[in-house]
Amino acid sequence: MAADKVDPIHQFHIVKLIPINIGGYDLSFTNSALFMVATVAVASAFLYLTTASRSLVPGRLQSVSEMAYEFVSNMLRDSAGTQGLKFFPFVFSLFMFVLVANLLGLFPYFFTVTSHIIVTFGLAALVIGTVVVYGFGKHGLGFLKLFVPHGVPVFLLPLVVLIEVISFVSRPVSLSVRLFANMLAGHITLKVFSGFVVSLSALGAVGIAGSVLPLAMAVALTALELLVAFLQAYVFAVLTCMYLNDALHPGH
Amino acid sequence: MADTNGPDGTGETGRGRQREADIRDDDLERRRRDLEASLATRRPDRLEGKDDAKAVTGYGQALKLSSEFIAGIVVGVAIGWIIDRLAGISPWGLIVGLLLGFGAGVLNVLRSAGLVAQFGQGGTPRDPEE
Amino acid sequence: MDAEAAKYIGAGIACLGMGGAGIGLGNIFGSYLAGALRNPSAADGQFGRLIFGFAVTEALGIFSLLIALLALFG
Repeated sequence: MAADKVDPIHQFHIVKLIPINIGGYDLSFTNSALFMVATVAVASAFLYLTTASRSLVPGRLQSVSEMAYEFVSNMLRDSAGTQGLKFFPFVFSLFMFVLVANLLGLFPYFFTVTSHIIVTFGLAALVIGTVVVYGFGKHGLGFLKLFVPHGVPVFLLPLVVLIEVISFVSRPVSLSVRLFANMLAGHITLKVFSGFVVSLSALGAVGIAGSVLPLAMAVALTALELLVAFLQAYVFAVLTCMYLNDALHPGH
Repeated sequence: MADTNGPDGTGETGRGRQREADIRDDDLERRRRDLEASLATRRPDRLEGKDDAKAVTGYGQALKLSSEFIAGIVVGVAIGWIIDRLAGISPWGLIVGLLLGFGAGVLNVLRSAGLVAQFGQGGTPRDPEE
Repeated sequence: MDAEAAKYIGAGIACLGMGGAGIGLGNIFGSYLAGALRNPSAADGQFGRLIFGFAVTEALGIFSLLIALLALFG
């Protein structure tokens, strides 16, 4: 029973809520899917409701929405130029999704969507897919100039191009692994410290007195996780902007 | 701000007398530029959140650099291993893939540390061990 | 001994080499930090050499990783 409670991995288990099976594929509605829907619902409801009044002098909640808007648009303008603003809806949706998913994951008993690598990798693949499709659509084969840096001697060119290609392919990997590893590690640490509290307080009066330490640690870690949740959403969005910049302006 | 309405040649600036033709395209363009310029002066001081984010993150920076490096190696090994599987030239694909992946990892680190130009933008991003 | 088991043991032993690279990296970054604290104004200029030392040291660690991967998958 006690060991069951302390298991720090248990929070990441996927549970099928509504089993759906179409054509041999398992398309069940899981707790992960439920929290993705919840994330989208919370993000859209928040943005819609807070900006519904459209007052010229924003109230508190409206200024939160406007700050998020300004934040992302400045980020995009700084790294991809004014042309990048056509990707604003894309980047803003990604940012809000990751941010709200991270924040929702901080609630006790909630499932953290971004702690599964397949989810973060899906998001990163979407970003890189957009970059590649838009890059080829806009520049045609000129997009391949991305992989050929200027001023490299001809005999080194094949090697450099190979390395550049690998470096490009490693981008979605590092993008997704960073978000996933941060969320996973943070939540496991949080769970382990909370587990200490439970197992120490089972030891009687001395244990209960001693369990104050891990409890304080868990509180501090929660604050740190709040920071990490925001920071990772920010990093994800910034890197998305930088990659989009490559699609907009390859090779100059 | 009478001058933003543009001279209409009559010397009058009243709103009532202003005809539609007076709001010419270049006038609009100029006002848009003015707005853009005045917005631009306000923008930098709105970015303070970014500096805050930077200040907290020696740890984040280290994590970012190491994940960039490891991602390069992982991708290189994966590509090499797949080539091995497809072409049946084991172990050479893995060896070459790992070395190239190492180069790409170092390149990633240099790039995110800002020492090498970004993708496709001049400079000679050769890594030192070549 | 089972050949499969020997493979895994060999991969594990090969990974010991990465420990040496770890010591080297610690040495490099430690020395850099010590130097940078003595003369902070020169620190930024030497960052490139820091990364160069990191790359050369890590390359040797990568060789042992390569041997481990070859033992496992090659």
